[in-house]
Amino acid sequence: MEKIIFVCEDSLDGIFTGIYDAWDSRYGHENVKLIIDSEETMELFSRYVEVGADGEKAEKVARTLKRRFGDEVFEMICQAAASFAPEKADALYRVVVKGLSMPDGRKVMDALADPNVCRVFELSRQAGYEAHHLTGFVRFQELKGGILFSRIRPKNNALTLIGPHFADRLPQENWVIYDEGRKLFLMHQAGGCWGLMRGRTLNESFLSQISQEEEQFRQLWKLFTKSISIQARENRQLQRQNLPLRFRTYMPEFTQEA
Amino acid sequence: MRIGQSMGLMEKLEILSDAAKYDVACTSSGVDRNGDGKGIGNCVAAGICHSFSADGRCISLLKILFTNECIYDCKYCMNRASNDIPRASFSPDEICELTMGFYRRNYIEGLFLSSGVLYSPDYTMELLYQTLYKLRTVWHFQGYIHVKAIPGASQRLIDQTGFLADRMSINLELPTADSLRMLAPNKHRKTILKPMRQIQTRMAENKNELMVYRHAPKFVPAGQSTQMIIGATPETDYQIVSVAQSLYDQFSLKRVFYSAFVQVTEDSSLPALPGGPPLLREHRLYQADWLLRFYGFRAEELLSEDKPNFNVLLDPKCDWALRHLDQFPVEINRADFYTLLRVPGIGNKSARRIVKARKLGVLDFADIKKMGVVLKRALYFITCKGKMMYPTKLEEDYITRNLLNLDEKLPVHKEEIRYQQLSLFDDMRLSREPTREERLQAVGGQI
Repeated sequence: MEKIIFVCEDSLDGIFTGIYDAWDSRYGHENVKLIIDSEETMELFSRYVEVGADGEKAEKVARTLKRRFGDEVFEMICQAAASFAPEKADALYRVVVKGLSMPDGRKVMDALADPNVCRVFELSRQAGYEAHHLTGFVRFQELKGGILFSRIRPKNNALTLIGPHFADRLPQENWVIYDEGRKLFLMHQAGGCWGLMRGRTLNESFLSQISQEEEQFRQLWKLFTKSISIQARENRQLQRQNLPLRFRTYMPEFTQEA
Repeated sequence: MRIGQSMGLMEKLEILSDAAKYDVACTSSGVDRNGDGKGIGNCVAAGICHSFSADGRCISLLKILFTNECIYDCKYCMNRASNDIPRASFSPDEICELTMGFYRRNYIEGLFLSSGVLYSPDYTMELLYQTLYKLRTVWHFQGYIHVKAIPGASQRLIDQTGFLADRMSINLELPTADSLRMLAPNKHRKTILKPMRQIQTRMAENKNELMVYRHAPKFVPAGQSTQMIIGATPETDYQIVSVAQSLYDQFSLKRVFYSAFVQVTEDSSLPALPGGPPLLREHRLYQADWLLRFYGFRAEELLSEDKPNFNVLLDPKCDWALRHLDQFPVEINRADFYTLLRVPGIGNKSARRIVKARKLGVLDFADIKKMGVVLKRALYFITCKGKMMYPTKLEEDYITRNLLNLDEKLPVHKEEIRYQQLSLFDDMRLSREPTREERLQAVGGQI
């Protein structure tokens, strides 16, 4: 029998729409597969169907999942959907199928002996850990006019995961976090809410105008991180294990002044 | 040496962060608090690490002393009165400015404020209180604040400060009263334990207040912690772990921190540590501390008067399991949660996952490996579906040998623990030097 492969957009809405369409095709769960839009080697004997992101379908899936699985599992699913791994779409579909067939969907993530559940669990944990790291490793610089700007390049699409944290932490500030790899902006307006913006380009000359105090605080911070370390206990390996090098490009305490 | 008021913020920060670094606690955990939408800041129960210094320790809080001008002369301390070092003091405004500037840029999670004793405990505590008051009310800072209670300060001041801070701590400094008398002549066990007890009682009262008035101000919501210096005095691990246990039991502390003694001043009553600070011992104590807090172990189970120190080569849990082989192997699919917790290689999280997952199906070794069980350690102690992973002898020597071959992540490099193959021709210098009489006897042909 011919297999149908649903090619989803790489976003939460895209994956949920894929799940909706795959289910709705009534082609049999074992005969469909979900992949993320990418240039992978194509499979023989299968038909490819492009799925765009459809807000309405995604909303329906989200509502069902929240009702049947509960908030905790739903959050794990959202985290897994933010993962960088391309196999996430299919694993998520299998978990949804399994969960909806269980009498109590809330327990679906407990069934770690199931390979798909285990995979989703891992992906969700990875994305969650990275988001947690970022809540600490994001560094803002103050631009003229008091706007706080930060640049990151995370593996997973973590912007939506860290949005609520920073909105709660800095409610009275205008801030922007820019994901360099995905060209996404997370923006927040003082006293308002946060939102995601794509398709804009970064105005580099705007960034070079830093505020007066910025340089002084950067120097103070560099000094502090240096003097707080105990020489007799120096352990660079442990430092690298706790703070991987890929984060350091964007942290002032590790960058040399040009 | 005393430098005048003209000192800049840069120099002050350098001196006073350098002076604060031997305080090990830098956690920002224990309290979950959302921002009120008007000020700045919130708290996350898990704590957030913002950076890591070259020694691998996390930088979460702006850790500084208010002043390093101290009237006390504790022998282990860098800021002891008789030490000739540059002295400096912040003003409350400077600390607020620094904290807010760092916090806005997401450099830090909050403030850790400690201090040397300036003029008197009350005077110092008053300054700390003023700083916190400004930060909370003028700057509307809602992030994490960890503050030291100064031993000997009045009850009223400690109470007031506690309502502004998230965590308070009083350092025990040394595990026993005797060593405290020896190395910190101005501090007394009593003046340390008294405020500790006071904070504990106040926290308990606060719980009752909160039950009646939901919005009553919270007193030290993240609990109190303390710190002990390890290796400066001759206490055994058993004594240290017992002290920690009684602090957890009787003073309901959140954390006890252990700090490997680092030689920063010279004194005849301090030990010389040619091999550097006792990091491996500190590591084993932390492991044991986790066993006390999260794994249901008691100090008496881990150590005893006859065996007062940890085996540096094995972690305390493996060590315990090897001495209690009669309780193993345990069946993964049946053993209760607390039994699973005692298996080397199974942690808190994986035990919880096992208990949940086995309700939905029988587990095998491949499954529990994916759940986070470290099989190379656990395999000697568990069965799945009644079978061990592969045939092993349940024998202390055999398992010990295998566990020692595993690469454990340690804070010191493996080369420092030396062992080598014995060879017939090595001179291990095990025999003592012959004495003068023996030499004479040898010459005379008597030996």
